Formats: sequence, structure tokens, C-alpha cells
Amino acid sequence: MIRNRRKWTFLFSIIPLTVYVVIVIIPLLSSFYYSFTDWNGFRQTYNFVGLDNFAKVFSDKLFANAIKNTLIWMIAALILPVGGGLILALMLNEEIRGAKFYKSLFYLPICLSLAVVGQVWIWIYMPNWGLINTVLRALQLDSLTLAWLANPDTALVAVIIAWSWSQIGLSMVIFLAGLTSIPTELTEAAEVDGASYLKVLRHIVVPLLSPATTVVIALMIINSLKSFDVVYMMTQGGPFHTTDTLAMFMFNETFKKYYMGYGSAIAVVLFMIAMIIIIIYFRQVRKLEHLYD
Amino acid sequence: MTEHTEHQVQPVNPPKKRKGISARRIFLYLIIPLVAFVYIVPAIGVILTSFKLDAEIAESGLWSIPRIIHFDNYEEIWVDANVRTYMKNSALVTIPATAISIMLGVLMGYVFSKLPFKGSELLFIFVLAGMFFPPQIVLVPLFKFYNTVNLYDTLWPMIITHCGFGLPICTLIMRNFFSSVPMAIREAAIIDGASEFDVLTRIMLPVSLPALAVLATLQFTWIWNDFLYPIIFTQSDEMRTIMVGLITMKGQYRVAYGAQGAMAVVASIPTLLIFIFFQRYFIKGMTMGAVKG
Repeated sequence: MIRNRRKWTFLFSIIPLTVYVVIVIIPLLSSFYYSFTDWNGFRQTYNFVGLDNFAKVFSDKLFANAIKNTLIWMIAALILPVGGGLILALMLNEEIRGAKFYKSLFYLPICLSLAVVGQVWIWIYMPNWGLINTVLRALQLDSLTLAWLANPDTALVAVIIAWSWSQIGLSMVIFLAGLTSIPTELTEAAEVDGASYLKVLRHIVVPLLSPATTVVIALMIINSLKSFDVVYMMTQGGPFHTTDTLAMFMFNETFKKYYMGYGSAIAVVLFMIAMIIIIIYFRQVRKLEHLYD
Repeated sequence: MTEHTEHQVQPVNPPKKRKGISARRIFLYLIIPLVAFVYIVPAIGVILTSFKLDAEIAESGLWSIPRIIHFDNYEEIWVDANVRTYMKNSALVTIPATAISIMLGVLMGYVFSKLPFKGSELLFIFVLAGMFFPPQIVLVPLFKFYNTVNLYDTLWPMIITHCGFGLPICTLIMRNFFSSVPMAIREAAIIDGASEFDVLTRIMLPVSLPALAVLATLQFTWIWNDFLYPIIFTQSDEMRTIMVGLITMKGQYRVAYGAQGAMAVVASIPTLLIFIFFQRYFIKGMTMGAVKG
């Protein structure tokens, strides 16, 4: 019996684990390896350069710029998808007619590819025919029209808004799931006692929502860190690197300039940041679980 | 004393007529449709334009309602041999990758839930960690790997990579589902002479349809929508997926807005259908696999 069990355990795990190790783990470790080389993607040979790539990473102004943009992205993510999702969830958690329809509507962009999302928003921001400028012109506000994606001052925000549009539904759904677990008697009792809606929100709903909030914040921060697709579609990092995120910067250095060694070093830094955030996240989750035990 | 009596009197009062709530409701009935409209407008531009002839677009822009609905753009897309190839490639990547990643997840999930061994908890965490890795960390080594084994510029790299990176979420969801099936069922079957394979295929799988549906919708959507792997692991037109086609079309030849709109719509149809018909599973999967998003 026991031997049989071992045999099946082995047979069942061998293929999935091989695929996982070959496709995920070995490449992951190899990236660390290449980050110590000057491989350029074409030559068969390369030299070990020690920590040179990392020294370059931390002195590269463009890397600092990518870090800055990624941080802005994260902060914006906390306002737009997290805040916006919470507000939508609070509104749609009320018993109103058509709530189900509205939920589907807000959720719909999540099933679209970020290539499509980017395409959709390029048409919003287009200088001549874009929706924003069309509306501005109709309102006689011609002076406010801009080439939103080509202007270094607005490009990053424009791309982040497009990205947020595709993410709000997801955070809304998680918040809604959290809201349904709050007993209505609790909020109703407070309201009967004369507490204002905002007070109920602040003292009952928001504290009880904190598990959902933790998940949404972690999710959005991780997704911000990975933000690549929508940038690639809309601006490819430009104009003047103003929309360069870490992932986009890594892509350009690696697959446009073919600095494979340097690109690997950027990827390693990106990976480390992601892991630190994940560890903090799981610690937080554990704390919350203790709180609710 | 007076305070005391007041408190005691209050519960005797008939429940308040919730006047605060009704004012809030009126506000909600006004604000939600407005927000929903603004939210969905971006997508509408693409759809409207896809039904317009180039002449009409040149005359009245992207955001006017088409005078007559023309299907010319869709016809143009449909007869375009490239677009058909892109769609075919997307299907050839998405369907096998979805199926295989789920199969691997089923095997691995079964081991983790029903055949635990010493150290399997640790192995589970090791597999799960892959969910949080930014894909950038494997790109350089995989690029080199697929070149070495002569799979560069074929559809295989996408299928294989998605299987590897899909394994964590598939394993997690299957393990959780299998864990809800009582262990006694397995033991009874084993005593009756069934092999682990019988237990998995005849007992476990037939009851796991909901979990399989969650994974199928989730994996299909992610893989169909992805374009990071195809832009790195392929270069020829014959190997492009539909999302890469959409991206390259953006910067190509004449300014064919109508055709671009039609292509964005066509590229989104498979995932939209999944969203419409399997929304329940889709949302469940998205919230469960949230952090991967």
C-alpha cells in the first residue's frame, strides 16, 4: 500500500514539477547568473563582470527614473483602483435596482487584454480626434487641449488612468465580497442609534473590511510593479522616459538594446522588490488572521 | 437618571423610517448610471468606429454615432489572411496551454491534498511562490533556452511558458477543491482495490467541474490576452498572436481606424463570450487568483 502510494505520488508529481523547475525555477536562477555577466544576446561567449551591472543599476539615472515612475504608479494605484473600487463597492452594496448589471459593467474591462485597453485609451487621448480633446473643443476650451500621451507632463498619469480603468472592477469585486461578510444588523443598529452614514463607514465598515483592503492593496501594488503591457501598447516608455516603469525599462534595455546582462540585473532587482512586498503582505495577512481568531 | 430612561425608551420606539437611507438612495440612483456611463464610454468609441466607413470617420471623427452600420471593416479583417493566422495562432496557443496547465494542476493538487508526504507542505509553498514572480525574471534565460532548442519563433514557447507559470494557480485551486472532498471516500475506494489514478479520474474529477470551470475561464482569459511572451519569443508574422497583431497594426500602414476598431472587437470576442456565459466562475477565479492578475 505504502509503496503504491509512493509510486503514484511520484508519477503524479514528476511532470508538473519538471515543467515548473525547467520553466520557472532554473530560468529564475539563471537570471541571477546572467546578471553577473556582460552577455549581449548574440555572442556565444560572455565575461563575468562581478557586480558591475548592479553598480550600473544603482548609478543609472534612467533606472532611478523608472523607480520613481513605478512608485508614482503605486501611489496612484492606491487612489484610483483601490479608492475607486471601494467607492463603487459601497454604492453597489446597497439594495438598488440593477446593481447586478452595474457590477458586471464595471467588472467587464478585466476580461479585456491590456492591448485592447491601451487601444481604447489611445483613442481617448489622441490629439486631433481623441475624446478628451473633442469634448474640450465642444466646450470652447481649445486652450486646454493637449497631446496627452506625447506630453511629458501628462503621459504617465494618462497611462495610469487607462490601466486603472481595467483594474477598478477587480478591486470592487473583492471589496464587495468583504462587504457581504459584514453583518447588516451591525450597521443598521448603529444607524438606528443615530450614527451618520459617514460615521458608520469610518467606525464599522472600514475596520471590518480590512482583510479585503489588505488583499486589494497588495494586489494593486504587485500589479503596479509588473505594469508593462499597457505601457508597451500606449507609449513604450516614452516620451523622454516619462512612462518608463521598471518592467518597461527592463524590456527596453534587454530586448531593444540587447544588454542581456544588464537587463538581468534589473530583473533581479525587480524580483527582489516583489519578494519583499509579498513577504510583508503575508506577514500582514497572518497578523490579521490572529486579529480575527 | 434621565439618560438612563431615554436609553430604555428607545428600543420601544417603532423602527425608524430610514429617512437617511432614502435620501442616499435617490443620490445613488442618480449617480450610479452617470458613473457607469462615463466608465463605459471609452469602450464604446472603439465599437462605434468599427461600424463606420473611413469616409465617415474622416468627416465626423471617432466619437460620432454611425449613420448606417457598415460591416466593411469586419469584412476587411475577415478576408485579411494575416488576421486569420493571428486568430488561429492565439487559439493554438491558448487552448492547449489552458488544458495542459489545468491537467498539471490537477495532478499536483491531488498530491498536495490527498497524498501528503514529509516536506510536501514546503514543496507546496515552493510551487505557490511562482504565482508572485514577475515574468521579467525568466525572460532572458528562457529567450536563450528557446533559441538553443530551436523553438524560437514557434508557438511552443508560449504554450510551455504558460504551463509553467500557470501551474501555481492551477495547483492552488485544485488542491483547495480536492481538500473539500472527504478523505474517507478515497480510502474506501483504495480498499476496494482502486488505484490512485482511478480515484482521481473516476471520483475526484467528476465532482470538480466547478473548480475546473473556474480554472478554464481564468487560464483561457490570461493566456488569450497575454502578449509579453509572443513579442519576446516570436518575430515572424506567421507566428503572431492576435494581441501582437493588434499592437503592430497600431503603428502600421494607413490610418485605418475602422479596421483597428474592428480588430480590437474581434480580438476580444472570445474572452467577452467567456465573461458573459461563465461570469460566476470567472469572478470566482479572479478573486481567488487575484494576486496573480
